[in-house]
Amino acid sequence: MKQDTEKRITVEDLLRLKRAERPPPEFWARFESEIRAKQLSAIVNKRPWWQGISAVIGFVNRHQLPFGAAAALALALAGIHYAASPSQLARSAEVKPEGKALAAAPVESVPAQLAPVALREAGPQREVEIEDRAASAPRSEGVAVTASHLTKAPTDIPVDAASKSPFADGIAVTLADYRQAAPEYTGQSVFSTDREFEPSVASVHAAPSEPLARMDPAEERRARLLAPALAAYSSGPRDWMKERVSSDERMYESIDRGTSDRMLVGFRF
Amino acid sequence: MNASKTLEKTLVASPERKLEADADLDIVRKVQAGDVAAFDRLILKYRERVLGIIYNMTSNREDAADLAQDAFIKAFQSINRFQGQASFFTWLYRIAVNSTVTHLRKNRLRSFFSLESIREDDPVSKELIDALTDRAGVNRDSFVRELQEKLNDAMQKLSINHRTVVTLFEIDGLSHQEIAEVMDCSVGTVRSRLHYAKQLLQAELQPYLLK
Repeated sequence: MKQDTEKRITVEDLLRLKRAERPPPEFWARFESEIRAKQLSAIVNKRPWWQGISAVIGFVNRHQLPFGAAAALALALAGIHYAASPSQLARSAEVKPEGKALAAAPVESVPAQLAPVALREAGPQREVEIEDRAASAPRSEGVAVTASHLTKAPTDIPVDAASKSPFADGIAVTLADYRQAAPEYTGQSVFSTDREFEPSVASVHAAPSEPLARMDPAEERRARLLAPALAAYSSGPRDWMKERVSSDERMYESIDRGTSDRMLVGFRF
Repeated sequence: MNASKTLEKTLVASPERKLEADADLDIVRKVQAGDVAAFDRLILKYRERVLGIIYNMTSNREDAADLAQDAFIKAFQSINRFQGQASFFTWLYRIAVNSTVTHLRKNRLRSFFSLESIREDDPVSKELIDALTDRAGVNRDSFVRELQEKLNDAMQKLSINHRTVVTLFEIDGLSHQEIAEVMDCSVGTVRSRLHYAKQLLQAELQPYLLK
């Protein structure tokens, strides 16, 4: 008997005593009434919004694999659809229309070195004269706004007019000025046609839709300036000699009679 | 043979627990289908065990009663999210343990005992108290009260995780596997925590251990 009482008592035995710490039976009646009240209040009280979010996150966490697979599939399909779309191919090759860019850009941003020499040297007074002349003269579509567009931002410039080269406009203004000052040099012998610049302006006006095929303005100007010379070469050696003699004579006359700025205009052509 | 049985009991859930889990799942399905009154059966079945876990973790009967009620309310509110992948009592224990751990962490600095009396209708407890009082030769009631305070004091000196493991294993009788599910950790972690907690308790309760 003594051996039984003096048997080894362990921590586990002592912890077993804690199992005997139990509330009296009347406690459970109160416990039940309180839990009923809490159940009712839980039904009446609105659950905060973040519990809804946590429920959604919990749902997604429980179904990670299907959600992940669906998301990957959707991304892959979207990527394939985007890559295979013909409109996307066309859009990727398309370049922004240059006319809109030019229309949006202020014209004052054109460097002064790019302005025609006659306009540069004549200064603001020259601009006013050209504006008046341009306003009185019947305007062709390509030349109408050329007098002031290098120094003043046009307000009513059409979109297609903005696609024209500023060099062509400047040359056209210079030509008009030169024709008024020396009408005898603007004939058929110097320029192959009286409307020589209009086709070039028109060609700029009707710009090709393919931007890569569009001619560089410098190239276009060079081609336009070389056109009379090439035409003279192609017409034969005798005609060329005759044209050269007559053009040299006219050039010397223009130097004798003209002022310094006119001489500059003469050498440009 | 006996040792292997004990080991098996500590590692895996018993067949009785599996039958119990199936019965609980039927009740849960009824609640999910709209039979709200069926949840009362689950409350009646688990209220003592849930309260016991929380009480032994907090050593405060008022807090334990509140937390146990909150755990049942949370379980009731979330019953539609219960999928039946774990047993209902594991799920309910997890709610109760998590609520208690949150409460203990919030009130880390405010802790005081409010103890239930030890009921001596359990023969094992009565025998143990008899042995201890005979050896000490002191007044039984005062000795029991002193021992109870010492036990709760030693439990409160453990960390929350160690206290939880000791409560679930030694007092509530859950297996290592079930504790691991409730605490969302590995079985090895449970064993390690249990071993360490027992060492600490042994050091604290050395005067009451007899050889």
